[in-house]
Amino acid sequence: MDWTRILQILFTGLIIGGIYALIAVGLNMIYGTMRLLNIAHGEIIMLGAYVTYWLYTLYGISPLVSVVAVMGIAALVGAVVCRWIFFPIISTTKSVSVLESNSLLIFYGLSIIFTNVASLLWTTDARGYSYLTNVVNIFGVPLMQNRLWALGVSFAVCVFFYVLLQKTMLGKAIRALIQDRDASLLVGVNPDGIYYFSFAISFALAGLAGCLLSMFYEITPFMGLPYTVTAFIVIVLGGLGNVLGSLVGGILLGLVETVGVSLTSPGWRPILSYSLFILIIVLRPRGIFGKGVY
Amino acid sequence: MLEICSVSKSFGGVQALELVEFAVEKGEIAGLIGANGAGKTTLFSVISGFHAPSVGKVRFKNQDITGWKPHWICRQGLVRTFQVVRPFPRMSVLRNVTIGKLYGKQRLKDEKRAEREAYEILEFVGLAHKAAYPASGLTIADRKRLEVARSLAAGPELLLLDEVLAGLTPAETAEAMTLVREINQRLGITIFMVEHVMKAVVGLCDRVMVLHYGCKIAEGTPREIAADPQVVEAYLGEDLEI
Amino acid sequence: MLGVVILALMPRWTSDYHVSVLLDVLMWVALTESWIILSGYTGYISLGHAAFFGLGSYFMALTWPKLPFLLGILLAGTLSSLFALIIGLMVFRVRGPYFVILTLGLTEFILHVVINLEIKLGGTVGRILMGAPDLVTLYHAMLAVAIAAVIVAYLVKNSRFGAGLFSLKEDEEAANALGVNTTLQKWVAYVISAFFPGVVGAIMALRHSYIDPYNAFDPMVSFQVIVMAFLGGMEEVEGAIGGAVLLTLVSEALWARYPYYYMIMIGVIMIVTVKFMPLGLVAPFKGRLLARLADGSRNGA
Repeated sequence: MDWTRILQILFTGLIIGGIYALIAVGLNMIYGTMRLLNIAHGEIIMLGAYVTYWLYTLYGISPLVSVVAVMGIAALVGAVVCRWIFFPIISTTKSVSVLESNSLLIFYGLSIIFTNVASLLWTTDARGYSYLTNVVNIFGVPLMQNRLWALGVSFAVCVFFYVLLQKTMLGKAIRALIQDRDASLLVGVNPDGIYYFSFAISFALAGLAGCLLSMFYEITPFMGLPYTVTAFIVIVLGGLGNVLGSLVGGILLGLVETVGVSLTSPGWRPILSYSLFILIIVLRPRGIFGKGVY
Repeated sequence: MLEICSVSKSFGGVQALELVEFAVEKGEIAGLIGANGAGKTTLFSVISGFHAPSVGKVRFKNQDITGWKPHWICRQGLVRTFQVVRPFPRMSVLRNVTIGKLYGKQRLKDEKRAEREAYEILEFVGLAHKAAYPASGLTIADRKRLEVARSLAAGPELLLLDEVLAGLTPAETAEAMTLVREINQRLGITIFMVEHVMKAVVGLCDRVMVLHYGCKIAEGTPREIAADPQVVEAYLGEDLEI
Repeated sequence: MLGVVILALMPRWTSDYHVSVLLDVLMWVALTESWIILSGYTGYISLGHAAFFGLGSYFMALTWPKLPFLLGILLAGTLSSLFALIIGLMVFRVRGPYFVILTLGLTEFILHVVINLEIKLGGTVGRILMGAPDLVTLYHAMLAVAIAAVIVAYLVKNSRFGAGLFSLKEDEEAANALGVNTTLQKWVAYVISAFFPGVVGAIMALRHSYIDPYNAFDPMVSFQVIVMAFLGGMEEVEGAIGGAVLLTLVSEALWARYPYYYMIMIGVIMIVTVKFMPLGLVAPFKGRLLARLADGSRNGA
């Protein structure tokens, strides 16, 4: 194997890993702050991809511009879902196990609504478009320009997120809420604001991921679930509730998958990632960094 | 009856217990005191099998029970209560106690009989009139009674009571102390109790061990303990008046 | 009892279409009842029912018609239970959301293993089953399975074993401290629970005479079962029948004509029910009953 091939694999791994990180961070935010598992996360990605697709094919708007609109819409949807559905049930449900199963059902309900609305409006045909497909050479590795953009955007957002969580007051409040809910309330953290923020940010990141993915993968109404499962794998890798762990976990999974596939065959990709997932969950249930929150 | 042989326990670098030695004799009421974070509940968790000790052994009725699973230790007749009481909230009071009969030492197969015997225990602890209540609807004092009743149903020879008097009013404390004494004298159950209320420790316990940052610093009758300079120093500022 | 006789005789009086609808209803009854044995009684929400369904289907696809029908479906169930026995070692090391994700992940894992094996062995992913038993035979088999599932769910719930399951649902450590071997209990419940989807999957493979990994391991099965169990109050034997019957009939009436609208409606119903009746459709009545009982004992005391 020569150097260009190795670099090629590395780049591909980073590109897909960056997107995994975006998806997983959002999912983990909602889990960390509210203890809810959003199994409709992939459907937000799907909707983001469709919106980008239509804006591009109908109006010729570049995905790199429409990403702003997509994120805005997704954030709004997130805030509405949080306000209308989750605030009422969180305040009325006392038992953790009931809340767990009920939130699962609600997110499942959302996911089938989104999938079927998409099928109804846009049929189940796979769609795609080509944008910025010219090839650029980086260190002798040929890469399509749209993938470079995806890499750049996702890493920029990851860095932004890291700074937000580590350095700002808001980030500290979020981390405090995740670590110890009761104590953080005592010191004056406003949980409602953070719940809104988590939902809005989580959905916006999913929309962003959909936008980026639409540039190089096919779009169908059913594309969501595999991404949801992948995001679960990532947050387990990085630790459930450990938001920064998800950033690392996402990139790691992207690399492991790409390297694994290059050594075997594409059909093995899901098997590799699920094996890794099962191993981690059984051997190190708190994630590879061991700091997850139950 | 119970021997704790140089037990140590650490959680990821934090030493919660260090070479603790103690023995509980059959028929007595033994006490365990110490400031918050002294390792009292950790010691109970080690004895009852919820944590394996890092070093050392726990022997019960001359049998090494180190590393046994909690349910197995319970079936040998060593039953614990929890500091923060944990009744099964959606079950009735009677059902809570029946579970102890069905699964504890006796492992009754006959539900009718289990229920009857559970009711007798509720009468003993004075909770029979609330047998049909859902456990979540009880007051703090009644929850503690239920916790004790449920543990009694599991058929203990040695009962570990983790702060059953904490948070009770003076009147309730007096009633609860009578109950503990009755469990010991009428039912012949050996008791090992963690307690903060010094009056209760002095009034009930035959012997007391003091833990301080995971180490045993004293052992003796309540009076000896109260006079021990090391204990007084450890408890500096706290009221040890008898 | 009379109901069972009537159900058994149904094929004499009605058309094939109605029998096939009833077959579907019975399938969901069996799946939901078996699901509550673990997840309803212990609170360990499993998204893995589809895995057992798929294993049963594939066992049938691989052995049919070498094995006789009855032996085939029973072995499919046994295989499914055996599988639960093995993975039970692993899945019960975690709880709460980890358990939910792990069971979902395991199902997807098996799906992809099967896809890869099928491509390697046959080059294609689908399998056709020739010479399947007629509809009425399959219907009677499914009726028997559904009845067995209801009976087992009922017996477990009202047994000493069930009392242990319910206690660990409330508080696992407290149950453990009272002598309940919580790990063993969950494990046994899992093995019992897994038997039925295995059998049902085997019957449905013959019913459709065709299987491929995507429809055999369809995660929708796992989710649908939860919805039905939820409507029935999660831990109620009768409620689970109600939930399964209700949802299957509604789906039968609308699905073929307006599939997307139907699914959207199901989604809306789920959200609205969870929001306004967080304990399911049956619970409000049960709650009132409990309150009355408590009142009675208070007045009596």
